Amino acid sequence: MKSAFNRSILALAAMFVVAAAGQAGAQGKLKSYQSGTKEFWTHPPDDWFLGDETEAQKGLAPPSGPPTGASEAELAAMMKKIKLPPGFKIEVYAPGVLAARQMAWGDKGTLFVGSFGLGNVYAVTDNGGKKQVKTILKGLNMPTGLAFRDGALYVIAVNKLIKYDNAEANLDKLGDGKVVYDDMPSYAAHGWKYLAADKDGWFYVPFGPPFNIGIPPTSVSQIRRVDPKTGNAELVALGVRNSVGGDVDPRTGKYWFTENARDWMSDDTPSDKLNMIAKPGEHFGYPYCHQGDMPDPKFAMGHKCSEFTPPVLNLGAHVAPLGMKFYTGDQFPADYKNSILIAEHGSWNRHKYQGGRIVRVTVGPDGKNPKQEVFASGWIEGDQGYLGRPDDIIMDKDGSILVADDWAGAIYRISYKK
Amino acid sequence: MRVALVGMLSVAIISGSLARAADLAAGKEKAGLCTACHGESGISQTENIPSLAAQPDQFIQWQLVFFRSGSRKSEQMQPIVEQINNDDIRNLGAYFASLAPPQASQPDDNPDLSQKGAQAAAGRRCASCHTDTFAGTKAVARIAGQREDYLLKALHDYKSGVRSGGGMAAMADVAYPLSEEEITALAHYLAHL
Repeated sequence: MKSAFNRSILALAAMFVVAAAGQAGAQGKLKSYQSGTKEFWTHPPDDWFLGDETEAQKGLAPPSGPPTGASEAELAAMMKKIKLPPGFKIEVYAPGVLAARQMAWGDKGTLFVGSFGLGNVYAVTDNGGKKQVKTILKGLNMPTGLAFRDGALYVIAVNKLIKYDNAEANLDKLGDGKVVYDDMPSYAAHGWKYLAADKDGWFYVPFGPPFNIGIPPTSVSQIRRVDPKTGNAELVALGVRNSVGGDVDPRTGKYWFTENARDWMSDDTPSDKLNMIAKPGEHFGYPYCHQGDMPDPKFAMGHKCSEFTPPVLNLGAHVAPLGMKFYTGDQFPADYKNSILIAEHGSWNRHKYQGGRIVRVTVGPDGKNPKQEVFASGWIEGDQGYLGRPDDIIMDKDGSILVADDWAGAIYRISYKK
Repeated sequence: MRVALVGMLSVAIISGSLARAADLAAGKEKAGLCTACHGESGISQTENIPSLAAQPDQFIQWQLVFFRSGSRKSEQMQPIVEQINNDDIRNLGAYFASLAPPQASQPDDNPDLSQKGAQAAAGRRCASCHTDTFAGTKAVARIAGQREDYLLKALHDYKSGVRSGGGMAAMADVAYPLSEEEITALAHYLAHL
């Protein structure tokens, strides 16, 4: 079987429109881009993350963390400020993991960590009780997503899913690896990704649109399921904006994922989401409907929210939910079993930041009766200050969890003792 | 006067509480590595080499980190960044940020070109990130008063994809559609601010 996708994304191109930039006036005029050109796929609209803001929102540009991460003294001071439920403890697992994003365990106990703009992939190993952080890959294009299967490390770097065989035995010489899937647009805009494997060893892979809000070209705003062995892929979700986190439900095998909602509507709308794919091919609403009940002011275009799959839970506006995991360990209190822990990266363009924490969601396997509570917080200082920004979570063997933070450039461990 | 003084004090307190423990004197000493190309006091006298004086602290630090990781490539900078550690990077950021900014090349020998550059800067929304005075902020570069030849080089590097510009890749996306005329005008305008 050939890939479910045409090898050429250009063949899938379609004319589409995005909202006019703020400066073009509030006439609701839609400006169009031509995605049928090769140039579109190499260079997305230049106003893709700034451009829709109002005058009152001007200056809310992405915050920039400390380039060399937090020092060990700063991390030690930070740990004292993090609030957790009684009995839980947070500590630094490894400092010096700059721009740390998704984590994956090797079979022999190596913790692999991806990064954002730095282009690094790290291996964290134990050296007589002290964690050693080694940069094992450099110069990749936003290698935010990682997975480990059958001895191989998989790295997804915007438009390449790369396999490094026998990775743990070759940490010093991983080589160039082998590209096993590349039917993906090459632009950076919402092009950074996350990997979650299901029991068949296929990866769920998110594809964000190259702008804030617009009618997406056919090959993005979706989640695909990709077989790294054959390069086959299938489409499992449509109408998804920017998703950079998800996990397979240990109870049902279904894929749950976080989603970042559109920007520049207001500080309090629309809400970011937690979704579940109940059956393949569901449409989650973007760009027509947000948070399950809010038609887009320009792009609803006659669609009703009832046409689309609603979120399992609205997590809050501008909280930026990224990596998430079902808790499957035995160390935490019994009622944590199968809870979802979500790393919220926090706001970048809200006047008063929120998120920047870990939330716990308890929910039935069918998505019914969702409840959320704050699990770990304290990374935000003042209205627009960060000490750190959690972005991924992974279980450790002993039932504790590890948390990646790309602002402080560190990995934390959270454990529980009665 | 009193109002202004209070304002300055509160700015100092805020930046003091957020600032890391950078060592200006150590930064100045380490900057000896930079002087041959980037000039005394961070004012470059060398073609295609940028002035670093009064660049935002974080901008300096990020570029050094990008050079070190290889995500920004430069044959001249590679051997330099191999000699510096995280503390050096913090100290260099603080040192260059503390220097007086370069004076614009005066007088403007081509005001018409500057006029075109100002229009291009407004149309391309440069101030959204570089601020209204183009002095830069946080991880975003000061471009006001930068060397004209270097601004040309930087815009060409972004346009051709040699340089992508930080995690968000914004500059590569912004520079790609710029025409040669716009690049020439922008560089001239910004260099004379």
